[in-house]
Amino acid sequence: MRIGEIVETMSTGFVAESFELNRPPPLGSLVVVRLPAEAGETSSGMDLYAVVTYGQTVGLDPSRRAVRRSTDTVFDQAIYQEHPELNRTLRTEFGATLVGFFADGQLRQHLPSQPPPLHFSVQSASPEEVQRFTDRLHYLRLLLAPYGQVSPLQVLAANVREVYQQRDYDRVWLDTAAREIATLLKNDHEALLTVLYAIDPGESYDRSGGGEPT
Amino acid sequence: MNQKMLGLVVDGTFSGGLTARLNPGTTTEQLRIGNFVVVEGQRNRYFSLISDIHLKATDPRLLADPPRDTSPFIAQTLVGTSTYATVEVRPMLMLEKVDESDVDAVLGERTGPEPVRTIPMHFAELREATELDFATVFGKEGGTNFAMGTPLAMDIPICLKLGRFVERSNGVFGQSGTGKSFLARLIISGVIKTKVAVNLIFDMHDEYSFDKQTEDGHWVKGLRQIFGSKVLIYSLDEEMGRRTGRNVDVTLKIGLNQIEEADIVLLSEELNLRQTAEATIGLLRDAFRGKWLLELLKMTPEDLGDFCQRSGAHPASMAALQRNLKRLQRQEYVVDEASFSALDDMVEALDRGKHVILQFGRHNTVLDYVLVSNLVTRRVRQRYEEKMRRYEETKEVADEPRPLMITIEEAHKFLNPAVARQTTFGTIAREMRKYNVTLLVIDQRPSGIDAEVMSQLGTRVSGKLTEERDIEAVLTGVSNRSALRGALASLDTRQQILIMGHAVPMPIMMRTRQYDESFYRAMGARVGITRDAETDIRDLFGDQ
Repeated sequence: MRIGEIVETMSTGFVAESFELNRPPPLGSLVVVRLPAEAGETSSGMDLYAVVTYGQTVGLDPSRRAVRRSTDTVFDQAIYQEHPELNRTLRTEFGATLVGFFADGQLRQHLPSQPPPLHFSVQSASPEEVQRFTDRLHYLRLLLAPYGQVSPLQVLAANVREVYQQRDYDRVWLDTAAREIATLLKNDHEALLTVLYAIDPGESYDRSGGGEPT
Repeated sequence: MNQKMLGLVVDGTFSGGLTARLNPGTTTEQLRIGNFVVVEGQRNRYFSLISDIHLKATDPRLLADPPRDTSPFIAQTLVGTSTYATVEVRPMLMLEKVDESDVDAVLGERTGPEPVRTIPMHFAELREATELDFATVFGKEGGTNFAMGTPLAMDIPICLKLGRFVERSNGVFGQSGTGKSFLARLIISGVIKTKVAVNLIFDMHDEYSFDKQTEDGHWVKGLRQIFGSKVLIYSLDEEMGRRTGRNVDVTLKIGLNQIEEADIVLLSEELNLRQTAEATIGLLRDAFRGKWLLELLKMTPEDLGDFCQRSGAHPASMAALQRNLKRLQRQEYVVDEASFSALDDMVEALDRGKHVILQFGRHNTVLDYVLVSNLVTRRVRQRYEEKMRRYEETKEVADEPRPLMITIEEAHKFLNPAVARQTTFGTIAREMRKYNVTLLVIDQRPSGIDAEVMSQLGTRVSGKLTEERDIEAVLTGVSNRSALRGALASLDTRQQILIMGHAVPMPIMMRTRQYDESFYRAMGARVGITRDAETDIRDLFGDQ
């Protein structure tokens, strides 16, 4: 499903404008940019995978801050019905950092040689793709590189939570990912705990999960 | 093959051993100090012992603030990642790798495991030893390889190379209750079965010949019952022979003429002798030669006075010496004069391949034991010395005396630093197998034995020891003591032993073999066959 269009691109990631106002893809979720054969460097086409690292909604003119629109009776969602022009003057952006690509039948978890082309579509990854991509966990290292305002640790945790859900609460995968993260953050106990607290499935997860292996 | 990976080698030195990081799935509780493990190098396989286990953390801050009330998820994640364990392993032997599929080639003699000359590189795998590894190192049962027991967690035999075992003097140690006499019986059975040596056993507590009740209440057979007429029973106690079903072949008497100065000196403590005794005995010997003891005991107070005047001996010490030595005369088995023929017959029986157990019966005080054992052994060794000389002259194979293993208990009485230089046992232990005579020393306080003797022991078999000095003593002259020290202290009291030395390729902890019906059968016991007079005569006097 197409969810956005690339408006800024670089080797480490891209910024895309979301098709839906105020609804960027979930933080940490896996998105994909599909390059046809002629656009990519390979003959068979290429799928670039990226993890959403932030979302934001701003006015079209970055120099002008949004102004207050609510009244005593009109607030929240009603503002958008009262002011339909907001759908034109506001835009929602999200950033994503590249974590790998699929080309020539091979899944690689490192940066592609070329950034994705501007104006190409960004799609959300299907559960099967998420499953296939996250079977290996080397991409977690790329997520730890600093980018943007959101703490990499939070993005990492968000990604693990997302994937855990999309993998149907695969507890084995979660344990493996947690150990991988523990290895990555072996020299920083506090950072490690930050992530672990954020991805701890705890009791509530178990109940909502349903697919949880007992 | 079912190989359990334990970890990877990450550090190490040739002199200090290797450090391996444990795999996250391996807990330290699975491992024991002294366990036999294998490091798979690229070219060589290293048979090693675990010498130490460390707990570590990647970030020291974790240790300052351990997660207390965290969820199981976090705790479980930290285990084996942020917190981990390393083991120190000590390569003991190495073996060049060959094609594993050909089991016979692996077990075959090829080159066999060799002393360690290299160490493996980083990331060599550490794994549990398999049955094949044990068989490679310790050999198969059969020939002079005698199965002593099994590894602690496996069910395959670990063999003692008895041929090598009897080449040196050996020791069996362990604090009381660790089954030293069972262990000795096991080893002696093996020696009898494989015929690598004949045995002379000084059986202080009547444990070796006939049935004996174990501490857990059931009865086990003695060597006579297992091996029948191959084992001759000598006894000091006349009453022993009268007990039904416990035939004694010879009742031994000791003559006062056979007791020498050295025997008395050895008994200083038991006989309450003074410092001056040795000098007084010297004077007596000068005057009466071999009959000094007899003469001394016969003296009346007047005779004593005369002798003191003539020789210049101190009257009070003479009187005290006589008083104290009268104790010897009062022992039932001591007669005024005895010939050495009984002992010489015994040596001949040994030479015919019989094994001799000398029982002490009711005469089981330290005084009896030390006196008789030392005296008998001195005679036996003299005869062996003569035989050895004859053999050196003739160089006939038939003249070579059979290797003899003498078993003594309470060994520190004979081998403590104060007397080890004077007793026959001390001589035997030091000169090793020069005259084909070796010792099997059984003791619960190895620290009481002279260090020089300890260092001459070829193979040491030890049950649990807790006293630091005893552990040190058992490990005298052994390399890589740290691993073994931990192992010795961690043995169970029952059935677990550590063997190291000449008869095993590397030190190993094991569970000893059961001493039961199947063992008797394996030893070829002739259970239920009655003996007739003719075999008795033949056993005693040989085929004439």
